[in-house]
Order: sequence, then structure tokens, then C-alpha cells
Amino acid sequence: MADVPIERPWSRQAPQTPFGTAEEIAYENRSAETAVYIGGKVLIAIYAFLFAALAFAYFYLRSSNSEDLWRPGHMTAPTPAGAAIMAFTVAGGVSFWFAVSRFRRSLFGDWEVAGWVAMTLTLTAVAIQCWQLASLPFYPGRSGYASVFIAWAGMNIFLLFSAAFWTETLVARSLRLRRARAEEGGDGGGLTPPLFRVNVGAAASFWVFVVVVSLLFWVFFYQL
Amino acid sequence: MTVDVAEPEAAHAGAVPPPGRAATGRPAWLGQHLGTAVLAGVGGYAFGHYLGNLIASGYVRVVTAAWNDVAIVLGLLFGILGWLAGIGAFNYALAKLAGREPVHADDPPNWTKYFRYSVEHKTVGMQYLIMVLIFFFTAGLLAMGIRTELLSPTTHIYGPGTYIEIVGEHGTMMMMMASSLVVGPLGNWLVPIMIGSRRMAFPRVEASSFWCFSAGYIVILSALALGGFPTGWTGYAPLQNQGSAGMDSYLLGFGIVGAGMILAGFNIFATIVAYRAPGLTWGRLPVFVWGMVTTSFLLTLATPTLVVAIYFGILDRTAFTELYVNAHGGSSYLWENLFWFFGHPEVYIMALPGFGIVAEIIPVFTGKPLFAYRIAAAGMVGVGLLSFFVWQHHLFMSGINPDMRPLFMLTTELISIPTGFVYLVGLGTLYKAKIRFEPPMLFCLAMYFNFLIGGITGVFQSDVPVDVTVHGSFFVLAHFHYTILGGLVFAFFGGVYYWTPKLTGRTLNRKLSIWHFWTMFIFFNLTFFPMFLIGLFDQPRRVFEYASDLTTLNDFASVSAFCLGASFIIFIVNFVWSIWIDPKRAPANPWGSKGLEWQTPTPVPPYNFERIPVVYADPYHYGEADAPPVADLEPANLAFASAASNGHRAAPVVADAD
Repeated sequence: MADVPIERPWSRQAPQTPFGTAEEIAYENRSAETAVYIGGKVLIAIYAFLFAALAFAYFYLRSSNSEDLWRPGHMTAPTPAGAAIMAFTVAGGVSFWFAVSRFRRSLFGDWEVAGWVAMTLTLTAVAIQCWQLASLPFYPGRSGYASVFIAWAGMNIFLLFSAAFWTETLVARSLRLRRARAEEGGDGGGLTPPLFRVNVGAAASFWVFVVVVSLLFWVFFYQL
Repeated sequence: MTVDVAEPEAAHAGAVPPPGRAATGRPAWLGQHLGTAVLAGVGGYAFGHYLGNLIASGYVRVVTAAWNDVAIVLGLLFGILGWLAGIGAFNYALAKLAGREPVHADDPPNWTKYFRYSVEHKTVGMQYLIMVLIFFFTAGLLAMGIRTELLSPTTHIYGPGTYIEIVGEHGTMMMMMASSLVVGPLGNWLVPIMIGSRRMAFPRVEASSFWCFSAGYIVILSALALGGFPTGWTGYAPLQNQGSAGMDSYLLGFGIVGAGMILAGFNIFATIVAYRAPGLTWGRLPVFVWGMVTTSFLLTLATPTLVVAIYFGILDRTAFTELYVNAHGGSSYLWENLFWFFGHPEVYIMALPGFGIVAEIIPVFTGKPLFAYRIAAAGMVGVGLLSFFVWQHHLFMSGINPDMRPLFMLTTELISIPTGFVYLVGLGTLYKAKIRFEPPMLFCLAMYFNFLIGGITGVFQSDVPVDVTVHGSFFVLAHFHYTILGGLVFAFFGGVYYWTPKLTGRTLNRKLSIWHFWTMFIFFNLTFFPMFLIGLFDQPRRVFEYASDLTTLNDFASVSAFCLGASFIIFIVNFVWSIWIDPKRAPANPWGSKGLEWQTPTPVPPYNFERIPVVYADPYHYGEADAPPVADLEPANLAFASAASNGHRAAPVVADAD
């Protein structure tokens, strides 16, 4: 079978094999989709172990209560800020969930707007988290709780940035795809590349994870 | 064929750029390479250090100390970021922010590709190979320093502080190296070819893993200039909190290597799952690849715990949290738990690739099928899973609830069962075999011999009474050197001798290879076997003085260690001589292997295969008259051939060693 020219700009992985039969290209594209799907799940597993280690630290120090200094006076980080961080994160997740549902109905304008909203909400949560860190009523070494809280804040910022980054790259890519189609003479609509759809699905799973982590640790630090 | 074209992308249409020129048309030296990485790394360090002084120079804790941890940590952190930015590791991420796909440049077809951010898996594999050897020989020189000090129980070359710095640096560098020793060079180079793939799943992740690993070398080495660290490779708190500035290098160095390990595992795992050639079912997977998939599983899941433990350590030292300080609500046992939750799977991160190598090589040199292939795969998976449930045995002597000891004693003993599976698979293959004693095979046999000693002494130590008796002694030291140096490193050198003709197209000198083997094997055993006795006589690890009646045994071990060190000079001479000074072209398949990697041309072309191969059988049907063909390298019709591989043999054009 004759080689066909390589025309797979919608495949996000590079380098692409610069030759191959149509069957081979299709096979590698399916492989790329599987890789993104698997990669998304493994990424969640990696983050899950990161946060499981943090949760272990929380419960280990809580149950050890060394020198009766786990949480003297039931000290708590500013509750309104904590609630706001959690609320903005959950709202970001809901917004992304809405974005994905519109994406699956090929309503790309809605998808992009909701995606930007999700990212903005997430970055707002990051900003509040930074502000909260700068205005804590206790110093980092005051207690076990204080120490774990500082660790959580840093990791939460990292988690939220990860979600925001992923969301931004998807929306930016979507905009470029739409513009490219418009330049080709279409209206910018139409099917999206399969690999992109898999990528959006993986991001949606990641967002579920982000929301679950946010809720769990909100309970740990503000409710327990 | 109709392709869903979203936007044109000219980058992939071009052929390989001319030598010395990047795809952009600029001279290559104007692009990003090692030089720009070093410059950006130095600049990043200077900036971070300045920032740290700006932030923290007035802190009471900083004023009263002789150093500023905040400045050093920020310096190292920005240095690492600069290093990665300078090499080009962030280009893709930035391009993605703008919705772009990155402009792809193929490797220049000359040596300069090894100093760049290459996304070609074979280049990354070679970069890793050189880097792990640099790690290994640097840490090996430090080992010579340790043995020199131990020549005399009372006459000292170093003070006790310097001695423990050298011990810690040696241990940490060796563990960093061993974590990536096989996955880095051989895993990256060989896995795509062995699974019939033309690429890695996430080539930029793969490249980033290498550049994180290489940054780790510089950072951990910087500890020597910053006063070292007093904790040894395990970094135990509260000593960690008390350590001087070198401790920051330990934490940052181990952290960035850990990040690299996660990235490497992530990419290899996804590649093996997603990019296997048609017909390459799990039941046909080369056993080396089974080793890689279980190792990458451990890398991705165990290493995050290390990263978090290190993050906590850095917070304690810079943000003044007290996570590891018992007196302020923290706990030093928190570090021990987190560290060993990573640290024990880490042992299998090191052991499994070694088993994968020997199980891959032994059938070739025995001319027999791999005995109980499925048992080998099951054993590796079993080891991988069980390794998460044994970490508390490292705490038998340091504070574990005594009621928990039997449970972890049991799980630790249990793990010897799947390990035994893998071991017995090798022995079963050797049974009644006509062995060809070529250098790779010699190393594999030695690995079995050494690992038997290392493994059995490990089973002893899983029992609480023995562990309590030998804890912290040279007995433990001898045990893990038998498993890691005697197991993994011997297997690694077996792999290097086996695959060098494929990796480089050159043949290593056989006589020098055999000299290397015998000197390494003999002096390894002469070095470490006496240490079991030294340990049983109660000489503690990490202490530079010892009872004078142990002088003879220590001197014997030291002199043997020097000879062991010298044996690697033979390897270096052989490697340099055979590859660069007097290169001899290697035969296409010098060992008569059936492995898919040996069916490709040498040097392996970019993208490995002109056609995606279709796999028909596992590559271990040696000595079978009606052995099925391993693969069809030129399937006329992929879908048809793929179907054929699942039962309908349709007379394919078969590439087979026989």
C-alpha cells in the first residue's frame, strides 16, 4: 500500500511518524488516543498518591498529638477564606463539567466560554489561597495542624494551577482549531479531532478529582 | 484516506535537517542545548539566592545560623528551573498555552544531539546511559574514599563529619542512579522497539525525565560544597532538620530526581499500554518489558510519596513548619513512614528491571524457551503489588507498635514468594541447558549467584529477631549491596554487553569483557561477603572507627573494594576502545536472538520500523523445530495481518532469527 502524506495536525503528540500507510496512521492515532486516556488516569493516580501522603500526614500527626500540640485551642485557618477557596474550586469544576457537556453537543462557543470561566474561578481560588496564607492567625510552626495546613496550601495551589493549565491549553487549542476551520472557509464548527475529545475527557476526570480533593481537605481542615 | 485536518502543520513534512542545523534553519549552536541550560541554571541559581537573601536574611533563625536555607533552596530551585528552561523543557508547555503544537525538530544526525532536548527515544536512552555511568562512577569513587578511611580503626584520613558526608553522598547518588539504571538507558532505548512501536507515547515527558535526572546530579553533588548532610541516604528526621546547608541539596536533589522518576514511569507505562504493535498481546510481551511495566507502575505510584516527604522537609527548613519536629506537634516518624512507603517499593524498582534483563537474556544463551513465562510475569506483578505493604519492616527497631511487627514480618516474608517465582523461572530455563558462556550470560549467572545470597539474607532480616540483632550493622549493608550491586548492577552490565551491538552498532572486545566480568565478580564477593562477618561482629554502619580486632577483615574488604573499583576501568577502556578508538562493526544479530529489537536494521533508523510490525508469538521459542514466527516486519495489510496474528496464520513475510 502506498504511503500517504502525513496529515495529522490534530494529533497533539510530536514527533509524528513522518510516513506510513493509511492503516498505520489510523493505528497510531488510536494508540495516541489510548495513551492520552491512560495518561490521564495515571496522572490522577500520581496526584492521588501525593494527596494521600498529605492526608496520611494529617491523620498521623493528629492521632500522635505530640506534646499535645496537634491543635492547641482548636486553632483554625480563616474559615470564610477556606470556604471561598473550596467554593470557587467546586464552581470551577461545575463550570468545566458544563463546558464538557456543551462540547459533547458540539456547542463550541459555549464550551470555550465555560472553559474560560472554569479557569478564572480556579485562578481566583488560587489568589484567595495565597491571600489566606499571608494572613494566617498562626505561624507555620505553631502546631501540627498549622504545619500540615501550610503544606496543604502549597499543594492545593499546585493542584489548582495544574487544573487551570490543562483547562487553558484545551480552550486555547479549541480556539485555534475554530480559527483554522474558519480560515479554510467554514464557519468554524464541525467535528473536533478525536484526540482532542479524548483529551477533554481526561481533563474532565481530572477535574472530578480536583473537586473531591478540595471537598475532602476542606472537611479535614475546617470541619473536623 | 480522509483525514480530519484541523490546521496545516508544516513542521512534520520536512525531512531531517542537515547536520548542525536546527529545523528553524539557524545554526544549531544558536538553539537550545547544554550550554544554554548551564547558563540559565547558573543565572537561575544567582537569582534565587538573591531572592532568598532578600526574603529571609532578617529572620532570627537565619541570623543565628551560619547559612540561609531559604536562599539556598530558592537558589537551587531556580537553578533547576533555569536548567530546564535553558534546555527547552518548557517550550512545549508555553506553546500549549497559546493553543499551539510545538515546532518539531528532528535530531541533527551527529553527536550534538546528545547535548540537546531530544525527543527521540534512542537519543534519550543514550543520554541516560552516559549519565547513569557518571552517577555510578562518581559514587563509586566516594566508595573508595569510604574504604580508604576504614583501612585503619584509629588512624584517620577524615574527621567523623567528613566521613558521614562521604557515606551519605555515596549512598544517595547510588540510590538515585540505581532507580534509573535500567529504566533510563535500556528502558527508553529498547521498550518502543521491543513492543513494535515507532515512538514513545509522551516523548517530551521522556526527555524532561532525563533532564530532571541530570539536574539531580549537579544538585546532589553541590551538597559536598555546602557542608554535606549527616543523615546518610535515608535523610532521617530530626537529624534532617538539624543538618547544615548540604541538607538542602539532598532534599532538592532527591526531589528533582524523584520528579524525573515519576515522569519516566508515566511515559513508559503509557507507551507499553497504548503503543504495542498489533498482535503483541500481554501474553506475548517480552519479559524485559514486563519488568519495565511493573517498574514504571511502582515509579509512578511510590515516588509521589517521596516527593511529598521531601516537600515537607523543605518546608520545615525554609517556611519553619515543624512537620518532623516532635516537640512542636510534628513527628520524626512521619518522615520515616513516608520515606519508606517509597523506599521499599524503590528496592523493587531496582530489582525488577534486573530480573527482566536476565530473564530476557538467559533463553538466548541457553537456546531454550523461557521456562514458565507466565509465572515470570505474574511474579513481577506480584512483587510490584506486595511491595506497597512491607515498608514498616524498616521501622522494626525505630518505634513501630510491637503489635504491628508480626503483620509486616509476614508481608515481608510473603514477598519472597513472587520473587522466588521470578528466580526459579531463570533456574528452570538453565536446567539441562547447553549454555553459551558469552559475557552477557556470565553477568546473568553471576546475578543469580549474588542475588541468592542477597535474597536469603533479606529473608532472614524480615524476621524481627534477626532484624533486631543485625540492625544498623554491616550485615545489613552487605545484604543490600548483594541485592543492588550484586543483582541489579550485574544484570545491568549483562544488558549493556548484550545490547551494545544494537545500541551502537559496535562490538565490545570479548576478551576485555570477560576480564571485566571475572574481576568484578571475584572482587565484588571478596569485598562484600566479609561484611556479613563484620556485621555479625557488631561493627555499625556509618561510623568511621571500629574495634581493632576487625582490622584484618576491614582491610581485606578495602583492598578487595579497590580491586573492584579497578575492574570498572577495564569496562571503561573496553567501551572507549571498542566504540570510538578501534570500532568494529557488530553483526546484525550477534547472539542469535529472536527478540524484535534484533530484527531491525543497525543502526536503528528514526522511527524504528518502516512498517508497523505484526507480532505472532513471544520471542522465546528457542530450540523448537516448529517455532512460530515472531513477527512480520512488512505486513502487506495491517488489519489483515493483525487478524492473522490472533490465530489465522496467513503466510506472512517473517523476520526471524532462524
